[in-house]
Amino acid sequence: MIHAVLIFNTSGVARLTKFYTPLHQFFLSMLRPAGLCNFLDAPELEAFLGPKDGGEDERWQVVYRNYATLFFVFVVDGAESELGILDLIQVFVESLDRTFENVCELDLVFHFDEVHHILAEIIQGGLVLETNIDEIDASVQQAARSRKESFASANPLSLGGSGLGSRGANLKTPLGWLTEKLTGVGAR
Amino acid sequence: MWERTLQDLIRGLRANKKDESKFIAKAVEEIRHEIKSDEMELKAAAVLKLTYLDMLGYDMSWASFHVVEVMSSTKVHLKTVGYLAAAQSFDQDTDVLMLTTNLLKKDLTSNPADVAVTLNGLSHIVTPELSRDLSTELIGMLNHSRPHIRKRAILTLYKLLVKNPDAIRHARPRLVEKLGDTDPSVVAATVNVLCELSRRNPTDYLDLAPQLFHLMTTSSNNWMLIKIIKLFGSLSPYEPRLVKKLQPPITELISTTTAISLLYECVHTCIIGGMLQGSSGNSLAKLCISKLAAFIEDPDQNLKYIALMAMTKIVPTHAYLVAEYQDTILASVNDQDISIRMRALDLVSTMVDRDNLPSIVQQLLSHLVPEASASALPSAAESLAQHTTHTAPATYIPPSRSPAYRLTLCQRILNICGRNTYENVTNFEWYISVLVDLAHIANVDVGAEIRDQLVDVVGRVRGARQYAVKLMSSLICDDTLLRNAHEEGSCAEVLWAAAWICGEYCEELADPQKLLPYILQPEVSSLDPDTIAVYIQASVKIFGCWAAELAQRWDDDDLSHVKSVVESIMERASELVHSPHVEVQERAANAKQLFTFIKADLNSYQPHSRPTIPIPGPSSSLDDLAMISEPHFPKSLYLIQPLFSLYELNPVAPSAQERVPVPEGLDLDAWIVPPPPDPVPEPETNAGEKKVKKSKKGKGKEVNGSKIKPKKKKLIEVESGEILAPSQEYIESPEEIEAREKRKAERLMQQRDDPYYIIDDRPSNKTIDVDSIPVIRLEGLPSPGQEPPKNEFPSLRAASQAFSAQQFVVDRDGEMPEGSPVPAKLASTPVSRQQTPTVLGSPAQTSTLSSFPAYDVSEEERTNTPEPIKVTRTKKAGKKKRTKVSAQ
Repeated sequence: MIHAVLIFNTSGVARLTKFYTPLHQFFLSMLRPAGLCNFLDAPELEAFLGPKDGGEDERWQVVYRNYATLFFVFVVDGAESELGILDLIQVFVESLDRTFENVCELDLVFHFDEVHHILAEIIQGGLVLETNIDEIDASVQQAARSRKESFASANPLSLGGSGLGSRGANLKTPLGWLTEKLTGVGAR
Repeated sequence: MWERTLQDLIRGLRANKKDESKFIAKAVEEIRHEIKSDEMELKAAAVLKLTYLDMLGYDMSWASFHVVEVMSSTKVHLKTVGYLAAAQSFDQDTDVLMLTTNLLKKDLTSNPADVAVTLNGLSHIVTPELSRDLSTELIGMLNHSRPHIRKRAILTLYKLLVKNPDAIRHARPRLVEKLGDTDPSVVAATVNVLCELSRRNPTDYLDLAPQLFHLMTTSSNNWMLIKIIKLFGSLSPYEPRLVKKLQPPITELISTTTAISLLYECVHTCIIGGMLQGSSGNSLAKLCISKLAAFIEDPDQNLKYIALMAMTKIVPTHAYLVAEYQDTILASVNDQDISIRMRALDLVSTMVDRDNLPSIVQQLLSHLVPEASASALPSAAESLAQHTTHTAPATYIPPSRSPAYRLTLCQRILNICGRNTYENVTNFEWYISVLVDLAHIANVDVGAEIRDQLVDVVGRVRGARQYAVKLMSSLICDDTLLRNAHEEGSCAEVLWAAAWICGEYCEELADPQKLLPYILQPEVSSLDPDTIAVYIQASVKIFGCWAAELAQRWDDDDLSHVKSVVESIMERASELVHSPHVEVQERAANAKQLFTFIKADLNSYQPHSRPTIPIPGPSSSLDDLAMISEPHFPKSLYLIQPLFSLYELNPVAPSAQERVPVPEGLDLDAWIVPPPPDPVPEPETNAGEKKVKKSKKGKGKEVNGSKIKPKKKKLIEVESGEILAPSQEYIESPEEIEAREKRKAERLMQQRDDPYYIIDDRPSNKTIDVDSIPVIRLEGLPSPGQEPPKNEFPSLRAASQAFSAQQFVVDRDGEMPEGSPVPAKLASTPVSRQQTPTVLGSPAQTSTLSSFPAYDVSEEERTNTPEPIKVTRTKKAGKKKRTKVSAQ
């Protein structure tokens, strides 16, 4: 299964961390030149990769892929196909791209919750849920819509996040936030 | 004041990069306030902010109750926040999880959007209790009308089953049903779950094979096919018939599929699933390996990597097929990517056999040689440069420079050569030179491992000793290692082995004394204390060997030379006596005392050409008579050599120790020092235990009866058989000086052997001024004792050329204690470290006085006559070193 999904930028700042198995510390040296293989196996990492101390198959592996300034890192065990995971990272990035339209690092910075929601449509509890990009996109849209509706119904005065598209119902316009505050003040 | 949204928080963080902790402290303070708000929106926003901070590494466990509050919101956009926070921050011990059972039950029956969120959250936070309470609901949801919910439910169910395996009985039939679901992603999710489950317990899922087989032959979803293939890979070892059935479709897939990941998975499964056996398997194996070889040559590094991994797994069964691609594989060891290098190393080390070992090792060694400089020795500047590049974060370290990689490489070289007690090494002279090279170029801390192997090889392989001694003596003479000893990765431990080997096998040296100045040089003090101790010991051994040899061809002109050597050793020993390290101190003190004695003897020695002794004293004709029985050389020259070379040191078999019977009367369970809590002092028992302690810990060579007796200052009359002092032979001589010397020697020996005896610095107050004695050759006197044997081993001394072509015999098994299981007769003289049977004491004068004949004893004779004393010799050079030889 997949034990963790992490996104880092090139200077090592975490943009997303998702652990499906509790790990308490994690360390990565990610400064690798392009053109090397995408399986990290540095001896420095052995201590983290072999927490189970089991046989060959129990060894964990770090599979990563680099997109522009971001590293998408998957920590997987022997039940996952290494090449399959590489494809899965591609699927993940494509779904992000569909949602954010030309996804860039800033999108991930400001919409970390949204990224989590998208990831939740692909991987659940460490197992692959869906690999078809269209399906993923559809469910992401649907979940976003239902969140937006819920938000709109809770805040009748808000502008409903119009113009934000699918960028997440939780992103409030300043005006929306203001109206919300006003009602909040009133309620108090 | 406006509360911050998540976006504000992130913006603020980005704006306050310099003072992040302060900003965050402030933000957390706000959050603490907001999170207590009655208003759900505000609370949720606070929780979301906390979740973000949690990702950055700040604790949010204190807020878990508020998270549950947000989870219970009826608004899906808030609920989502709650579940996200729970999934990110809760763990198995989060206590509030107990409160969530009803909430989860309710949410699972809510509208589809809620259910999806809940299922996703549940799969993260599930505990055994939740699993027990909710599994019925989950199993029911497998038939949900929406495929999206169905697949989520399937995956969540897996997590529940992991926590609560008992539920599997109810869940399994429903799960299997889902293999026939109309929605392909539901089927894929089911296969996924089954794959995980069967990895844990393959035999339970064997009966699903037909269904899975059907899916495999009909489906075109590569994702699912990969999983099915993986699933079969874990099943087939338990059902041999499956292998036969699977071979055709998998062969078909391998040859037709265009998806490389699927192709690889097929190949991999073939290998780990044991599908390559038998005649039909052979052709499949060939196909697999040819595909893998193509991967290795592929420019895509990922393919290279996985192909090397798969190759490693196939080598044990089809080594001959892999061997065809050896060149390709060796080329991968040069790859710039460390992951690929490591995998290639794995593969290469499984491929090693007798024929290709030298070439492979040579290739690996060449990786360790610094690329920039041609010199084989890492200079201080280089080491420094490496150090700085290592610490500079921005620069990329080439793999061959990374210390971790070098360490692995060195260990790998040692490992592949040492495997199964040097099974693949044919030329041990070559191997010893490899070890020395490795010590020079490693530049990482593998010195200890190299040292152990050196000692081990030299101990086991008789034929390589001469070469080893030659190499080791040059190592000692070369001060590069000594100079760099303090740098990291200098492998100065090799000097330990060098000193030990040179000391132990110094009879191989033509001029042992020439090594002494190097061993005694003051720079040695900078080494590790353990090494210094071995150096001291080596100097004693070398002197002993040389002195004995000198005695054979004694010429009175040698006297001054011997004296100066003794002087230098004493000088060095007295320096080291003040060492803060106990081991060094003890060795130095031992050496010092021994040499004090030798010095006294040398000083009192009078060249035989002088018929009368000019010192005042009773000079009678008796004395002159005694002179005739005197040897024509200083007797103390034979003091040391028998201590070290009387019995040969052999590797000890791993099981030898346990075959050593416990000596009668020795209770290993008895306390040596009784535990303190007993308040009543019991002097009687203490005294008894002290004896046990001595017999157990005694370091002596002759830990026989006299050793166990409580020590007294007063010299006990020791039976002549019990001591090793060379004067035994002349016991008939009544001369007073000699008797005193003899007693002194005995005392020295005993003190030396007794770790509890504090040696006082007795000044050697021999007043005879040797220099003032005119040296006149004494002629015509019959030589007492036996004739010195001629130098019987010129062949041994001959300088060895390159590598001798001889066959090396490796003592793989090691030595076993004599006659184990021990016959009754021997039981009384068991071979152990504590006790030395009286064999030692029996006047084996021929070998005591001159060990030269021993060299010619054939190997068989040596190994077949295990003298118990060998084990006791272990004590002399320290326990650690000797046991290393036995370590396999």
